[in-house]
Amino acid sequence: MNRIYFLIAVGVLAVLGAVIGDKYLIHILILCFIWSMVVAGWDLVLGYAGIVNFAQLVFFAVGAYGSSMAAMSLGAPSITPLLVGMGCAGVVGLLIGLPCLRLRGEFIALFTFTVHLALPPLIRQGRPIGTGGATGLLGVPPLEIGDFALVAQNKLAWFYVTLCVAAVAIYIIYFVIVPGRWGKAFVAMRDSEDFAKSLGINYYKYKLVVFIVSAMITGLAGALYAHYVIVVTPKILGTEFFLIVMVMLSVGGLGRFPGVILGAFIVTIGNEWLREVGQYRLLLLGLAVVLIILFMPKGIVALPDQIQRLKLKQFFVSSRKSQE
Amino acid sequence: MHQIIEILISGIMLGAVYALLAFGLSLVYGVTRILNFAYGAIYAVGGYLAWVLTVGYLELSYAATFLILIPALFVLGMALERLVIRPLRWKPGWKITTMMVTLGLAFFIDNANLIGFGPENKVLPPLVPGKLEAFGFVLSHHKIVIFLLAIVFVLGLELFLRKTRYGQAMRAVAQDMQGANMVGINVNQIFGYAFGLSAVLAGLAGVLLAPIHLISPFVGWVPFLKAFVIVVLGGLGSTRGTLVAAFILGIIESYTTFWVGASWTIPLWLITLLVILIFRPSGLFGGWTR
Repeated sequence: MNRIYFLIAVGVLAVLGAVIGDKYLIHILILCFIWSMVVAGWDLVLGYAGIVNFAQLVFFAVGAYGSSMAAMSLGAPSITPLLVGMGCAGVVGLLIGLPCLRLRGEFIALFTFTVHLALPPLIRQGRPIGTGGATGLLGVPPLEIGDFALVAQNKLAWFYVTLCVAAVAIYIIYFVIVPGRWGKAFVAMRDSEDFAKSLGINYYKYKLVVFIVSAMITGLAGALYAHYVIVVTPKILGTEFFLIVMVMLSVGGLGRFPGVILGAFIVTIGNEWLREVGQYRLLLLGLAVVLIILFMPKGIVALPDQIQRLKLKQFFVSSRKSQE
Repeated sequence: MHQIIEILISGIMLGAVYALLAFGLSLVYGVTRILNFAYGAIYAVGGYLAWVLTVGYLELSYAATFLILIPALFVLGMALERLVIRPLRWKPGWKITTMMVTLGLAFFIDNANLIGFGPENKVLPPLVPGKLEAFGFVLSHHKIVIFLLAIVFVLGLELFLRKTRYGQAMRAVAQDMQGANMVGINVNQIFGYAFGLSAVLAGLAGVLLAPIHLISPFVGWVPFLKAFVIVVLGGLGSTRGTLVAAFILGIIESYTTFWVGASWTIPLWLITLLVILIFRPSGLFGGWTR
């Protein structure tokens, strides 16, 4: 059922792209598509597999840097930079995932967050290998498909490219991996690790695979982002992006299908809208994470359930009163 | 040779303050099983509060500052537990939600500091000005004082945990929450006190290190990570282990900064953390639980 809704939504968005003339709106939607890939990848790890990984933006940054460096330093042709970015992110996913196999929940959180904090200084030091240091990489060349150069100004082309890639990535995560054998294993592991193990589920293999898949999808999103925005700086790993993605996850609700995707759309649009408040924006985003987790712990996808329950409660209370 | 000994001494001084930091984190993590990502933000808050009380606005002496600061930090920690942690505890997925909520809170506090105090570094005067010169070594009085203060606080905490009712209750909760509850310990109250005490330790470490490391809005992240690495290496709840680990890592850090450069400190701590977690996950000497 969800699958049909999803395909309809993609179709509607595709039509919308042709109808909307406003470049700014198209730009925001492109960002929505890119971010929805990131949160979908994160949701797979955090929401379904229950691994508290805080290094998701590391994969994003590795994808962005890998792709840009391949295009700029090595002059990789056509769309190969994207593949390089994705491959690099996959390798980093493997490297981060391996030690996580041995660690317990909080230690994974701490270790991955340390990786997140340790990367920007390394990037700043990495000028000799072509990371561009603190200023980052400016003027990432456009991707080329045959003779057609996908320049950043061509918003409509970017709209369809990112829509297609994001749709495929999200489809793979939510309609191939999650309902399949792997997804069931993750949910079993998350809900009752001991029982899942006793059924012979190979904990290590699945954990590692989920890390790599999620890293590759996020890395691809990062690579697309780099070629679209043309500028890659260590700011990708700054507070702002991290907070934004965290708000997306908490608004949407982890581990229930349209949740985080809706979150990505709401937050990307809301964040643009919040640009007017200037420096208070990050403060508000931080506060949003806290308040949403406290008062709406399951995100907006659970909101209908919560309202339903409230109504039922009122109904029973009032019927009891009338009986009295 | 001369220089090597000087670096060793400054490493030992650092280690004492790191021990203070690590005890605060180990207390809260040991007692409540919650990884408090806002711990570094509280460290920064301690520094800023001290700045406001001393050179920033009120021009108070350090003694008066500590008298105001310690209760204020305790209340802050208690409030954090009551408002943000308690509503989430024992709900499904509380480990993930408490981590996310404290991370959000950390960013909130950091940005509030950024808006309130601006991005530039704030400088605190040394606790005691002047320096000591002996055998050709130069050592600032401030470093000696923070070393002594940190040791006093650590010993005081250890005494509190071993000898007083509340301290023993905290250790009981850390060892077995249900058991503690059954024998009549108010677990919620102990959780609140643990958070309060840990905020005091973090804030104090912030004040002690402020004249050396300065205070800026995002200054707390590195101390938070260091504290956690020390806790993990030392073994949760093991006083001896934490002290040894703090001194080892303080000394290693001093030498790395000297020989390799300051920007390699975080990668270095990361590698240390990884090596410890893989080869010695229960710490140097083991500890309270698991």
